[in-house]
Amino acid sequence: MTVAMQGSAVRSGWSYWFDSYLAMVRFELINLRIFLASAMLVQVLTGAGMAYMYGFYMGDIPATAQLFIVTGIPALALVPIGLVMVPGSIMIHKIRDTYDFVWSLPVPRMTSAAATFTVFTGLALPGTIISLLLADLYYGVDLAWSWSLIPALLLTSLMSTSVGFGMAHAIPEPRFTNLLTNIVIFMAILFAPIVVPIAQFPDWWASVHRVLPFYHMAQVIRDSLSNGLVESVGTSWAVLGAWIVGAWLLAGWVVGRRK
Amino acid sequence: MTTATSSILELPIKREGATHWLQSYRAMLRWQLTDMRMLLPITVVVQLLSGVGLVLGFGLLISDMTANVAVYLSTGAVVVTLVIVGVIMGPQLIAQQKAAGSYDFMWSLPVPRSSAAAAWVTLNVFIAVPGMLGALGAAIWRYDVSFDVSLMVVPAIGLTLVTGTLLGYSIGHAVSKPDITQLITQLLVFVIMGLSPISYPIENLPGWLATINEFLPFYPMANVVRDSLTNGIATDVVRSYVVLGMWALASGSIAAAVLRKRK
Repeated sequence: MTVAMQGSAVRSGWSYWFDSYLAMVRFELINLRIFLASAMLVQVLTGAGMAYMYGFYMGDIPATAQLFIVTGIPALALVPIGLVMVPGSIMIHKIRDTYDFVWSLPVPRMTSAAATFTVFTGLALPGTIISLLLADLYYGVDLAWSWSLIPALLLTSLMSTSVGFGMAHAIPEPRFTNLLTNIVIFMAILFAPIVVPIAQFPDWWASVHRVLPFYHMAQVIRDSLSNGLVESVGTSWAVLGAWIVGAWLLAGWVVGRRK
Repeated sequence: MTTATSSILELPIKREGATHWLQSYRAMLRWQLTDMRMLLPITVVVQLLSGVGLVLGFGLLISDMTANVAVYLSTGAVVVTLVIVGVIMGPQLIAQQKAAGSYDFMWSLPVPRSSAAAAWVTLNVFIAVPGMLGALGAAIWRYDVSFDVSLMVVPAIGLTLVTGTLLGYSIGHAVSKPDITQLITQLLVFVIMGLSPISYPIENLPGWLATINEFLPFYPMANVVRDSLTNGIATDVVRSYVVLGMWALASGSIAAAVLRKRK
């Protein structure tokens, strides 16, 4: 970055891309510093808070059901970051009219997208782990921790961040994005098989959830925290992968678009 | 109208008495309806969806859904729709007026301030009714719940609605900073939806949280409303009426003090 003191720097090549990427990560972090602190609070309230609340609402819960709740909490805690906070941070740019400014920065646009994915994927992890531990503390279930938790969390976090990013950029009207994020939260908390077995749902609604990401997020994380609760986890990895590819294609199209 | 405009020699209208108050009340009701015309349909729809959604959603999540659980969920949803507009939306609307700078203008209108408060309570009744009926309807349709409505429904719902609305009114007017109001209301949503035994039995809570709820207004609201809609589920109803009555008095006095305050 400092080499280019004279003339115009070559704006291509890997090292330029990587420098831009680092700059954009820094830009995102500084830009969102207050937002990021409140994000973690919201996340723990949604994650751990809901773990307690499900208990209050459901009353006497059998051991297996408790295990389902606790292992579903990380997925629930990831939803507000990727599908609410990420669109929120982009909406703020649109509302404040700084949206075009960010696009005008002299960096490859893909680095801006990559920086958003990095910052939010990383940010989501501590709150998710805290929520999981608080839920486990409350219910006292036996979790079977495995190393696959790390890729499971990274993949689900990346998936929700990517979908949130693509969605917020693709929808021009910020108020519509806002409405959509509210629906997503309502859906995740009450109408998705995240903390309960999918077999409990009516068939038609279960098949909707085999396409939507919520169920599969919960599946891959649950598989890495328990034994024998999850079947055909490979399908869930594949579905999440497909959502990421889809979101990135959408993001690529939105990002590449010029006015 | 004709008598008022016919003669310029007449004295100005007296701004007191029951007739003036009633006229002001009607004018304020019309004012608020017009003011909220865009927001009102959305609010009613959101209320309806959240009332029905709460019953159906938890129905999905709870595997052995019994009629008893359905009764709790639906009567709880009735209470939530009754208080959410007054306690949450009320203060937020006032905060918006303060942020937009139209707050002082509202206070300067030549009507008794109590008539404005009364108009707001009335409006809340109409906003709450669709959500209430939706929640009860969903429970009847999906879980074959039967309700046993007694005449106590009038004081129970009335007291719940008035206390909730005045509580929100006090918060909205007494807290000067709109940001703080926003924060308080968001916290209250969390307390009402999650930590108050409105839609589930109080025995489900840990002991200390149950004790706190005995003194907060939300559990008593749910208890008296549940008592008026069902048979044999609610206990200690008299105590709930006493606690709720005290909250009504307290928030009423704060609201009155705020209403009387002049700059």
